[in-house]
Amino acid sequence: MATRSPAQAMIGAQVSREELAKRPRVGETLIQGFLFICGAISILTTVGILYELGKEALLFFRSPDVTLVEFFTSTHWQPAILDFGIWPLVLGTIFTSVIAMLVALPLGLATAIYLSEYASERARNILKPILEVLAGIPTVVYGYFALTFMTPLLRNLLGADNVQIFNTASAGIVVGILIIPLVSSLSEDALHAVPIGLRQAAYALGATKLETSLKIVLPGALSGITAAFVFAISRAIGETMVVAIAAGNGPKNFDFGQDPLFGTILNPFVAAETMTAHIVRISGGDLSYDSIDYNSIFAIGLTLFLMTLGLNILSQRFVARFREVYE
Amino acid sequence: MTSTVTGFANGNLAVEARNMHVYYGPFRAVKDVSLKIKTHAITAFIGPSGCGKSTVLRSFNRMNDLVATARVEGEILYHGNNIYSNDVDPVEIRRRIGMVFQKPNPFPKTIYENVAWGARINSYKGDMDELVESSLRQAALWNEVKDKLQESGYSLSGGQQQRLCIARTIAVKPDIILMDEPTSALDPVATLRIEELIQELKKNYTIIIVTHNMQQAARASDFTAFYNMDEDRAGYLVEYSGTNELFTNPKNELTEQYITGRFG
Amino acid sequence: MSQQTSYPEGSALKGQITSRQRRGSAWQLAFQVSTIIGIIALIALLYNITNQAFGLVAIQNKVEPSSLVLALEEERLLSAENTVTSEDDNELVAGIASDANAIGFFGYAYYQQNSDQLKLLTVDGIAPTAESVQNETYGLVRPLYLYTTADVLAQNQAANIFLNYYLTHINEEIEDVGYFATSDAQLSEARAAWTAASGLNLQPGQWAAINPEGITGQLSVVGSSTLFPVNERIAERLAADGFAATVNLANVGSTAGLRAFCEEGTADIAAASRPITSAEFEACRENDLRPIEIQIGTDALAIVTSPENSFTTNVTQQELRTLFDTATTWADANEAWPNNPVARYIPGADSGTLDFFAETVFPKDLANLSKETLVELLTANISVGLGRRLEREQRFYDDRLVFDDPDLFAEACASDNPAAGCTMPARDQENVYELLLQEVVAPDVVSAWSLMDSLFARDEVEAFVATEYPNAELTFRSWLTLDFITSPQSSTPEFAGVRTAIMGSLWVVAITVFFSFPIGVGAAIYLEEYASDTFINRTIQTNINNLAGVPSIIYGMLGLAIFVRTLEPLTSGALFGVGDGTTANGRTILSAGLTLGLLILPVIIIAAQEAIRAVPHSLRQAGMALGATKWQTIWAHVLPSALPGILTGTILAISRAIGETAPLVVVGASTLIFVDPNSPFSKFTTLPIQIYQWTARPQAEFRNIAAAAILVLLVLLLSLNASAILLRNRYARRA
Repeated sequence: MATRSPAQAMIGAQVSREELAKRPRVGETLIQGFLFICGAISILTTVGILYELGKEALLFFRSPDVTLVEFFTSTHWQPAILDFGIWPLVLGTIFTSVIAMLVALPLGLATAIYLSEYASERARNILKPILEVLAGIPTVVYGYFALTFMTPLLRNLLGADNVQIFNTASAGIVVGILIIPLVSSLSEDALHAVPIGLRQAAYALGATKLETSLKIVLPGALSGITAAFVFAISRAIGETMVVAIAAGNGPKNFDFGQDPLFGTILNPFVAAETMTAHIVRISGGDLSYDSIDYNSIFAIGLTLFLMTLGLNILSQRFVARFREVYE
Repeated sequence: MTSTVTGFANGNLAVEARNMHVYYGPFRAVKDVSLKIKTHAITAFIGPSGCGKSTVLRSFNRMNDLVATARVEGEILYHGNNIYSNDVDPVEIRRRIGMVFQKPNPFPKTIYENVAWGARINSYKGDMDELVESSLRQAALWNEVKDKLQESGYSLSGGQQQRLCIARTIAVKPDIILMDEPTSALDPVATLRIEELIQELKKNYTIIIVTHNMQQAARASDFTAFYNMDEDRAGYLVEYSGTNELFTNPKNELTEQYITGRFG
Repeated sequence: MSQQTSYPEGSALKGQITSRQRRGSAWQLAFQVSTIIGIIALIALLYNITNQAFGLVAIQNKVEPSSLVLALEEERLLSAENTVTSEDDNELVAGIASDANAIGFFGYAYYQQNSDQLKLLTVDGIAPTAESVQNETYGLVRPLYLYTTADVLAQNQAANIFLNYYLTHINEEIEDVGYFATSDAQLSEARAAWTAASGLNLQPGQWAAINPEGITGQLSVVGSSTLFPVNERIAERLAADGFAATVNLANVGSTAGLRAFCEEGTADIAAASRPITSAEFEACRENDLRPIEIQIGTDALAIVTSPENSFTTNVTQQELRTLFDTATTWADANEAWPNNPVARYIPGADSGTLDFFAETVFPKDLANLSKETLVELLTANISVGLGRRLEREQRFYDDRLVFDDPDLFAEACASDNPAAGCTMPARDQENVYELLLQEVVAPDVVSAWSLMDSLFARDEVEAFVATEYPNAELTFRSWLTLDFITSPQSSTPEFAGVRTAIMGSLWVVAITVFFSFPIGVGAAIYLEEYASDTFINRTIQTNINNLAGVPSIIYGMLGLAIFVRTLEPLTSGALFGVGDGTTANGRTILSAGLTLGLLILPVIIIAAQEAIRAVPHSLRQAGMALGATKWQTIWAHVLPSALPGILTGTILAISRAIGETAPLVVVGASTLIFVDPNSPFSKFTTLPIQIYQWTARPQAEFRNIAAAAILVLLVLLLSLNASAILLRNRYARRA
């Protein structure tokens, strides 16, 4: 048993209660408070969006010239004569988005499958940065591309008489191209997260690579891929510059029964305006506060916000479900 | 619990745990540990993995606070003060009770800064160069690094990094140094140097060391505490006595089985 | 047993496997092609931009710089002291002959008539002879032209016959008149032009075959006094050959003749002693006339003195310039000459000879003129209103005003919002030159072609320009030039640049970073290091994830409602009394920067969270074990380790902010601003906004400069991304 004389103990070894007492660290508290406020600003942003959009939209619907019923049922958006039916704009948005999805979803998913399941390390190292570059190009540049490349291309292929200079097809295709990297990278992440053991099991049963990829890996990553798809739709709906430049400068008003369904209403080669493009066009002009025009774009904005928010939440649900399975 | 280490004078009491329980959320990781640690001695904690020896060690300087769900019941008395009492400052405790970790974890800074940083934040007023030198000398590292003080701490070998961590701890002049398996990531030569160093350090510091290596405990420590895990996976103190006594004449059958290599 | 019968075997098995594998290969190809389509899209996009940013352009000046200089020089010639001006050549001859210190110039023909009274000087040592004129070693020569149109030749038989006769017999007459005959090559060119336009199916050699006898009708030949004697002789010969049509010859000068031909439609043929100018050509085209140019000879100028002049037989062009402009004595031009006053004799302003002299002797390059001269030119060619505006932007001289009334100017400077010209130093020569180019010369790109057309269809382009814009100059143009980057915005695409936009982008992004970087990192630290798992913290995290998916245009509307409108006193600068007087609203750089700040905040937070999460836990423990507080540990160890990751994320967020367009349109970017932003309270435009506005313009040249601006933007983004990658790699090496 080792014992030592008290002389060998450290000088001042006796520690009093006071020395250990909690010190008021004002700086630490202030910093923590500041950091909390930083975090809370994001909440304020959301509240701000909801409040401002809601407030102005409310003013819009309170106006004697507007009714909720008209807003949700009329197929004419002509502010000049106080016709405020959201449908022409929503239809424009749906059109470009559907066309964009027809391009982006198959191409994006096929790219993801190729990169995740087929591509060699070298090919991946070349292809992924290219897709990143594609994703990093500003949307206004895609707008330019749509107007000066895609539209002339379509007009050459299908005849200038059949394709208007501004049309939803060209804008939609380019929006699709711009979303490909988003779909492919999110889907690839999902495919990547599927455990290697599942693939090995499939191979061990004599499955080909294709059968493994499509019947084992793909279903395994389904909720992750669905999340990517839903998020891509939300992105297409919110996309602005491409449609503002290339899709058209006026809402495509129509009347069921009068306008031919396929010739006009559902024709992607004629001009139409989306919700986002309309907001840009109206706010780019001379806009005075508290006018019906000013309020109307906030009503459109609120519609747009709620649509994308719903899709984003849906997408996150899928992501969460996907995480539960594999993490 | 069998503890034969009770007989030293109050003046030689470094820290004492009384009926300490540690919980992680609803799970009790350590139950009912009471022991006294003697100053200027080396106390080793041994036991099979999961027996809570590291948890007990981390409780001594409130490192468990960093785990959000951790909770300590009972008392740990440091100079008669319960360090878990609400009015005690954990930062102050950690300054006085330093810690060396399992894997060397130097800061991504220069060697000099690694040693000086702790002193600086604790408002050290003296000559910093002198402090760095003396700390590195005490950690038996000075001769190896005196010409490259401005190089990154990462440029050192694993054993050197661990001694740098010890120097860093010494620089803030703690009472007690907790060592959590300090040599488990090192090769035998580096391990031996650290063990020699620990022997040196005991002159000035109280040292508690967790080790999974029984030979190390037998070689290097004055006292040894053996922990084990019971059926509900909570760690508890089995036996605590002078190292010689515990290894030559264990009171508890479990201790004997453990030191003779029959389980663990 | 049952297994063996249930599965295919033998060749059936082989077939089944082969078909499965074939399907696999087909799909693999499909996957590969899909992947490549993305790359093709990128290539197409870059190709398209490059294709538009470079290419041939046809440029046409509103006013030729040479004609500007010419007018000025003539003015100076006429107003120089000791100058005798007369439209009557005989008067000039008499004056020169009698004065030993006289100098003058005539058309060579006129000199020949009076060679006994005058002494001919060589110019730069060369005398005008048939040879020296034809090969242009003699410097003072000018071509002589007739202009007509295909319609005139097709509809007016008399004019047609007249021109045929003219070309057939011109060389028999012209030297006799005193001019120099055209070379065979030039004459055959003229004949080809005539044949092509005449509507007659003629082969060379058939020229003389058309008999003018008995042709009736009427034609008028109007213009140059120089050509008048030639025209007279041809007309007389024709009449002698039995040509019965009435030929009206008018001696009114080249300019008046072309005016009668192009604008008034009163001449069938214009005679000119100089080429048609682009302005005259445009006037013709406006009246649907497409002039055919026929060179019928060359005139030379004779520089003459009195035979009594004993001190020189030669002048250089430089000496000529001095003698007719600034010199008061002969010695001023050449020290070897006597110190006698120069007596100048020059033809009147309406004569083509004066034009000819000024044009050949004086330099035509605007850029080399003095600032005073340039200001004079500007004064003569722009309205007072425009001049006043330019002067208020920046004065021409520090000590006097050119356009503005001093009292009005002083008044404008005394107002609350004084014009920039009140304080700025005066314009320099270069500045005035640029101004003259923009406001007066006004080169206009009349047509532009893509790079591919320029490279592979150059012939077609050239043919198109030759017929549509014969006065235009076809040059290869890179729309992306240093000038483009350093010039401010302009409403004419030729002069437009992106400096204002680049400055705007940098200002806006600076505000964005200043706002969102500390807050974003702060929020990330809070969420990763401090936040416990409570409802509010979970809400914050979910909310940030949601905000990252909100369309950017919604942020624009938030910015419009909050920063532009509600916080107007703050964002317009009115609160600090520093607002830009011309805007007086919240559509400022500050509003734009804050809006983009909110937009990229979630991006920065998420990136910073990931970076902080990646910092090893042992580092935090080591810090805490030394008795550091939480913040001390974070500040000294966690943040430095996470910094490369945070910066990488931030740079990517910045490049997103730089490329954003829609929210800034909504917040209210200015459509056309010429002044660089100088504070957070300035009006703004940014690079993407500029691209958007130019793309939306229908004129092709705006597409070209939009492409050039896109290249600038992409280079900017590319270098940002490259730095992010470098940072990431450095970080990866260290970790």
